[in-house]
Amino acid sequence: MKHIRLIALAIAVIFCVGLFAGCGETNYAANNTEYVIGLSGPLTGGAAMYGSAVANAAQLAVDEINAAGGLNGIKFKLIATDDMNDATKISTNYSSMYESGMQVSLGSVTTQPGLEFKNLSADDNVFFLTPSASGDDIPTNPNGFQMCFADGNQGKVAAEFVNTNYAGQTIGVFYKSDEAYSKGIYDQFKTNLDSSINVVETTFTEANSSDFSTQIDTLKDCTFIFMPIYYTPASLFMTQAKDIIAADGVYYGCDGFDGIDNIDGFDINTIPQEITMLSHFNSKATEGPAKEFIDKYVEKYGASTLNQFGASAYDCVYAIFNAMKKAIDGGKDIPVTISASDLCEILKAEFNGGFTYQNGVTGENISWESTGYVNKGAIKYIIKEAN
Amino acid sequence: MELILSTVINGLSLGGIYAMIALGYTMVYGIAKMLNFAHGDIIMVGGYVIYVFMAFHNPLLAILMAVVFCVILGVVIEKVAYKPLRGASPLAVLITAIGISYLLQSLAQIIFGSANKMVTVYDFGSVTFLGATVQVSALVTLGVTVIVMAALTLFVKYTRIGRAMIAVSEDKGAAQLMGINVDGIITVTFAIGSALAALAGLFYLLKAPSISSTLGAMPGIKAFTAAVIGGIGSIPGAMLGGLLLGIVECISYKITVIAPYTDAIEFSILIIILLVRPTGFLGKKRREKV
Repeated sequence: MKHIRLIALAIAVIFCVGLFAGCGETNYAANNTEYVIGLSGPLTGGAAMYGSAVANAAQLAVDEINAAGGLNGIKFKLIATDDMNDATKISTNYSSMYESGMQVSLGSVTTQPGLEFKNLSADDNVFFLTPSASGDDIPTNPNGFQMCFADGNQGKVAAEFVNTNYAGQTIGVFYKSDEAYSKGIYDQFKTNLDSSINVVETTFTEANSSDFSTQIDTLKDCTFIFMPIYYTPASLFMTQAKDIIAADGVYYGCDGFDGIDNIDGFDINTIPQEITMLSHFNSKATEGPAKEFIDKYVEKYGASTLNQFGASAYDCVYAIFNAMKKAIDGGKDIPVTISASDLCEILKAEFNGGFTYQNGVTGENISWESTGYVNKGAIKYIIKEAN
Repeated sequence: MELILSTVINGLSLGGIYAMIALGYTMVYGIAKMLNFAHGDIIMVGGYVIYVFMAFHNPLLAILMAVVFCVILGVVIEKVAYKPLRGASPLAVLITAIGISYLLQSLAQIIFGSANKMVTVYDFGSVTFLGATVQVSALVTLGVTVIVMAALTLFVKYTRIGRAMIAVSEDKGAAQLMGINVDGIITVTFAIGSALAALAGLFYLLKAPSISSTLGAMPGIKAFTAAVIGGIGSIPGAMLGGLLLGIVECISYKITVIAPYTDAIEFSILIIILLVRPTGFLGKKRREKV
């Protein structure tokens, strides 16, 4: 009996020490010899294409900056951790990066884990500029900013497109009801849609995300289907629906469609319908910063993970670099051992104070609202024409 | 009309898959009195074997290899993991089964990675009749399911081994006294269950040509639900429960308002059945001796 009490006490003490350890105002960056940028994303798993693209492109930008002498001689270092698009992995990833001296961050690549990342970074006041976590709630804390369009914005732009092109007609909607990304876009889409448009909608969930025969049956008479979902279920839907949906039909997706033409074992040309997405990056660009980025990226990592997520990450690193440079030029001191919180204050002041990132890969004059949402133009990008 | 027809066909084909998996659960439960929670993951293994052998572009070879591999795997798991626990507490067996389930999933993830693999076994296309368009693979699934179930029913009723299986499930001790090799029968049961799971894996790939290490997890739980609804231990019960669950799922997906709650609805049925009729639709009532 006495032993059990002792063991229980020991366990209690260990856990309490663990709790208090998180409370100290430790500056983990005190021993840094480079500025450390942290990133969490799905480097493996169903959304691995996004995480890999972001990690690759961010590394590309960091390497370029370092090769050009860094920021006043101080180099940058990127730490990329794998969350498999699973929000429960974020806490561990975040702590390991924070304790490794992370001073500024690209946040999380995808939305669901991003919400977790946002809360943790708010506690420590760590600045993040996410390339691709597009949830409306992602930038609601003052330390968070987005390079991609917020979901609500994507839903609104898509609704405007439908209002103009399909007035008075029937369209289909296929979304994932238990995912913040998909539901967020869908809600805004629905809100902004004209009442003249008749909507046939159907959903799926994470647990049932491969057999879509019932959903396809529901949508079989639609010639325009709005699909605010990620590429893996989208490709499965298209494969199963290719003979059932009209051959001149249109699948219209948001940034989640990006990479659908690079799935191993899925040949996009076997799908007769048109596949289109709303984007901020033209992966077939023939000129400008986008073209330069594509050439550099493909040379280093190949074309299989080239997508707007990488492009956006590349812009994120440069935007942070430029903002830090602007702050230093404006008289601020940013030592290599600056704490994440101090750097966050400096960057917040810049991003809220009219900082503009010019000639980005994903847009020309990119600026931010005080809410953290990005201001830039959108393009309609046809991934594949109807056969 | 066409809406009802296509929903029923899709529901029956999905239900057929559930039924096929549920048969594995129910037979193993009936004979070995254990819940083999690793059963769902045999589906996933079957799927990956098909994926590997589809490199030879021969669907029949791939299917055959999947069945053979799953049968061997099922028997090996039984011999290595479950047989030493015969006579142990049911909880120990249950935990072992869950452990095997995680082992299989993790092995698959180590070997094949966590990203989905796409594999097209055979493209049947789709067909329209009476105004309803359905994938031919759904009809194939339905047809094969009916044949397999009929064959299994005949096997159990009219062959020596089949009747021995019934005897073991009725009373293991008495069966043993009558000269039935109980261990042998349990091995056969695992072999049949695993072969059915391999077929279920095939049908999943025909429906949606994508495979991941968690492919079997949800169907496994759904099939378990189906087995309990039908009456665990009862072969016709597993078929009935599977088909019922498949149809409920498809109807639920058709109704926009309740579609997001489909899983909840299916599991609610399980809870209701357990409350109202704990032995399921076709399960035998047993008086427990205290």
